[in-house]
Amino acid sequence: MSALPDGDGPLSPTRSMTARQMARWRFTRNPSAMIGAFIVLSVFVAAIFAPWLAPSPESAGSFVDFRNRHAPPSWDNPMGTDNVGRDILSRVLYGYRVSLGLVVGVLGVAVPLGVVLGLCAGYFGGWIETGIMRFTDVMLALPPLAMALAITAVLSPNLVNAMIAITLLWWTWHTRLIYRIVKAQMNEDYVEAAKVAGATHRHILFRELLPNCIPAIAVKSSLDAGFVILFGASLSFLGLGIQPPTPDLGTMVATGSEYMPDMWWQAVMPGLAILYAILGFNLLGDGLRDMLDVEL
Amino acid sequence: MSAPLLEVADLTIGFRAYGTQRRILHGVSLTVGEGERVSLIGQSGSGKTVTMRTIIGTLPMPPGVVEGGAIRYDGRSLLDLSRQERNRLKGTGISIILQDPMLSFNPVLTVGRQMDDIVRFADIREGRTRPRAERRAHIVETLWKVQLPEGDRILGSYPMMLSGGMRQRVLIGMALLNKPRLLIADEPGTALDVTTQAEILALLNRLVAEEGLSLLLITHNLGVVREMADRVYVMEKGRIVEEGTRATVFANPVHPYTRRLMEAVPPLYGLGVRTVTNLRESRAPAIEADGAGKAFLTRGGWFNQVTGRFQAVNDVSLKIMPGDIFGIAGESGSGKTTLAKMMLGLIKPTSGILEVEGRAVSALAGTEEFRKLIQIVYQNPGSSLNPRRTVADQLAVPLKFTGHETAGIGRRIGELLEMVDLPADYANMYPHELSGGQKQRVAIARALSVRPRILVLDEPTSALDVLVQSTVIDLLHRLREELDLTYVFISHDLSLMRNFCNRVAVMLRGEVVEQGAVAEIFDAPRHPYTRALLSAIPVISEQEEALKPQVTKQERAAVLATSTALGGH
Amino acid sequence: MLPYLIRRALSLFFVLLGLAVLIFVIARIVPGDPARIALGPLATADQVAQLRAEMGLDEPFLVQLWTYLSGLAQGDLGKSLLTSRPVRDDIMAALPATLELVLFTVVLQIALSIPLGVLAAVYRNTWIDNVTRVISLIGVVTPGFVLAIMLQLLAAYYFGFFPVTGRIDPSLGFSADITGLLIVDGAIAGRWDVVGDALRHLMLPALALSAAGIGQVMRITRAAMIEVSSRDFIEASRAYGIPERVVTFRYMLRVASVAPLTILGLEFASLIGNAFIVEFVFSWPGIASYGVRTILQKDLNAVIGVVLVSGVFFVVANLVIDTILGLLDPRHRLRAKGGE
Repeated sequence: MSALPDGDGPLSPTRSMTARQMARWRFTRNPSAMIGAFIVLSVFVAAIFAPWLAPSPESAGSFVDFRNRHAPPSWDNPMGTDNVGRDILSRVLYGYRVSLGLVVGVLGVAVPLGVVLGLCAGYFGGWIETGIMRFTDVMLALPPLAMALAITAVLSPNLVNAMIAITLLWWTWHTRLIYRIVKAQMNEDYVEAAKVAGATHRHILFRELLPNCIPAIAVKSSLDAGFVILFGASLSFLGLGIQPPTPDLGTMVATGSEYMPDMWWQAVMPGLAILYAILGFNLLGDGLRDMLDVEL
Repeated sequence: MSAPLLEVADLTIGFRAYGTQRRILHGVSLTVGEGERVSLIGQSGSGKTVTMRTIIGTLPMPPGVVEGGAIRYDGRSLLDLSRQERNRLKGTGISIILQDPMLSFNPVLTVGRQMDDIVRFADIREGRTRPRAERRAHIVETLWKVQLPEGDRILGSYPMMLSGGMRQRVLIGMALLNKPRLLIADEPGTALDVTTQAEILALLNRLVAEEGLSLLLITHNLGVVREMADRVYVMEKGRIVEEGTRATVFANPVHPYTRRLMEAVPPLYGLGVRTVTNLRESRAPAIEADGAGKAFLTRGGWFNQVTGRFQAVNDVSLKIMPGDIFGIAGESGSGKTTLAKMMLGLIKPTSGILEVEGRAVSALAGTEEFRKLIQIVYQNPGSSLNPRRTVADQLAVPLKFTGHETAGIGRRIGELLEMVDLPADYANMYPHELSGGQKQRVAIARALSVRPRILVLDEPTSALDVLVQSTVIDLLHRLREELDLTYVFISHDLSLMRNFCNRVAVMLRGEVVEQGAVAEIFDAPRHPYTRALLSAIPVISEQEEALKPQVTKQERAAVLATSTALGGH
Repeated sequence: MLPYLIRRALSLFFVLLGLAVLIFVIARIVPGDPARIALGPLATADQVAQLRAEMGLDEPFLVQLWTYLSGLAQGDLGKSLLTSRPVRDDIMAALPATLELVLFTVVLQIALSIPLGVLAAVYRNTWIDNVTRVISLIGVVTPGFVLAIMLQLLAAYYFGFFPVTGRIDPSLGFSADITGLLIVDGAIAGRWDVVGDALRHLMLPALALSAAGIGQVMRITRAAMIEVSSRDFIEASRAYGIPERVVTFRYMLRVASVAPLTILGLEFASLIGNAFIVEFVFSWPGIASYGVRTILQKDLNAVIGVVLVSGVFFVVANLVIDTILGLLDPRHRLRAKGGE
């Protein structure tokens, strides 16, 4: 910040606020962060309370109502109905359950794994570093979507296998990110100071270094959540993700696109629903990035 | 006196940030006459850099806002000029030398390209055309002026291939390329070693005289001001608090802030010098090094194989007695920090023996017993404190891992904070909520938490302002008395060492060239390097200047690498 | 510069070797018998055993790996179960289409994202910044397949200028025999109608494929430009009277372009991955749509081949980017010398 006066002297505008106040202040004055937080919250509410919010909960299953098929958006079916007469809004709400389940499953495993490997590679150095980082280099060369497709195809397509396939490919990005941060932190004297104080490796890794990675992990995970949703939807769009009749947004777009453009709502509505969720996580991630002042 | 070349009148600048506007400069007025050397003195945060940027026209607006006042250069009001007219003065009328010679270059362009751009665009603005070869001749000639005879080789180099002193010289050359009338220099040479700094200051003085330049020098170092200024302004918190000729201000400072600044500068010679003694009587040394050395292997080439050895520390023998404040002096790259880390067991010596209280460091390092013997305080508390952990968390680490019972940790933290004069409620604060001096106090408290007998102080005050420095030094003196500590004090600041240490060793390229009682070394330095080092230190009074040791040119050449020729880098 | 490049190429070769081994190991540890997977549940045990023997699955693992790697060294990727042709021939036939699409996409990404990122940084916090931010956000958050379908729809029903499937109008009767790239070969042959038609076919798939990258690279360019603009040497250049235009494009962009280029290289695998969807939607006759078909048929040899070729794409792309970075920034060359 070249614009601010030199040093952390009494003239710095931040002196009067604590960091937490400052961060909260920046967050609430960041419209995209607020919108993102709102969208993410709404998606979670939709997913959790789907049975109560959905106008027609039975549409989530293999329910058929041929009299009412291909109905355009109306008061009864705000997003229209699909080719077998199911209410699309209800299916979208249930579809969020699948999407968020995927996010939680994938990030719940990939982030801790990636972070621990990144911490170890950056902190220990030597052959541990070489081993882990060369392996991630190789992983980076794999086209992720193609690999996920191949893995689910061989394992037989369903939610759990999609989760496994995506997780296998996801941790490398966190490893790289954390590795880079830890490498930079290793130049700071506090790591050596902790060693001089007799701290164990575990203490240094998880008490000293990890807290310095948390902001980056938060931002990255938020952005990731959107991409995992996108990834899962892409898999099922090609028929290799979640199988019908479980409502999945990607599958809905794929099926709906056959009725384009006359019955556009069948593909467009679930498409917009995916976009809405991804947008939310992205705006939130951006907002967190500004607030926590991290570089990815 | 005719109208001055530069006149800043009642300049008031505000900053708009985070929704509020704060005033940074409060009616600053100063003048620089034709051919005059003027210094603007201030600590960090005083507003001196903002003043400089406003004059040169690089202060970003917004967030900067001119609330009032005027800047006149050669009779023209700069703030009222059109952007184009203003730009015409940049580099040609007023030029600058920024503080850090490394950061002032574009790292991806050759020095020649950057210098040629400066000349070429000035030509375009002036409506001149010169062929490339002619511009190059002009650049090489300018490099001659800054004592860089190997112009052609320098122009083909990237900035990172030059040594620090050379970069600083090239930078001065850059500022002079378009023959400015006013040169503004921001802390010139501060980032360099003291011997190189002395060369640079001498060069600047000569150029100002030969080229008939006016100089506005911005600095916090009063010693530099004494050598470089005809008149001085002292700035504090965005206000000019004192002005006058150098002689009057130095001899008779009026404003209390100026006086405090002068008093905080440790004297190198003369009556003000305080000589520290070690009153403890003991025969067994606290630390003993016998022929200790450390060679680093350099790697490179295709398979990252060993390509050479670098002897960071070579055959060092010394005895540090209990109660000593033992100074290890040296410039960057002298091996002083490596030696300190060997004492702490963080770096294993490749030759010789190191003992702490009679026992080999190699055997003790890593044990609880060793941690209770020796601890370290780092140079920069911004780096040695973990930014994401509270003061209490950080003070607890050594206690937790050195067998302190958990129940007593809270109480011990309270004691430690009190010991370093910090309020108890600071325990729950994060480092960025503290000032630099407060952070360093926390770092000292952490080092003392397990009651070590020896403390290694690695330039503990060099990241601090001079006023804060003296309070930290007082604290260290007090703690030594109270806790019977032995200090190993690593520093490049010899003035500070003169007043803080009782014994001192001078290091040059990994070797101790001279060691002994501080008064002897300073009053009768035997080694030419020690003499060169002492004579290069900018001091703040004529008496001190007169007492500095003399070095001949030959002696200097024998011990110092010059910054004018491309060396082995 | 040359030793630097050789060293980079060598390390990328090891990435490729690692990749080959990794893919092979994954293909073998995945539960299930590859022969059974290929033949489906209806095949008899004899048929499976025969295929197992044919595929060498009865050999010890290391022998299999060695056979596979030495075959690979001679360019032998095995036979495709889907087309009954050598996988290599299938891939060679489909490669030019993908190459053309990917190259065009990358050119589109660089040509759009870096200038827009610079624009956003120069005019930061103005409406220009906001507009580019929205564009980048749309690019990042729109799923590739949604964008592909939308573009197809718009093109098919509202402006018929852009064809929605294939590479070229077969009625032009042109076959690309020199490089396989229609634009290049068409230009060599002087057939500008072919070049135009190929470009029209390319436009929509390339747009769908580039959107995510454009958004991301734009953001990173903007952030890098803003970061560089606060460095001392930029202030120094301004103070020495270098015009603003030159400061922006020569002094700032050159330093700032390292970050977006690096990201382009790292994200190249994602780009290839997304090509699987885009080629599928636009019936683009490239290796990615071949990959999707073989994946759906569980044709293991072909899948391994496609993934390996994608890896080669990644490695080559990164070598090119390393070269550019080495030319742009001397520190890259010197740092890679090691010892640091």
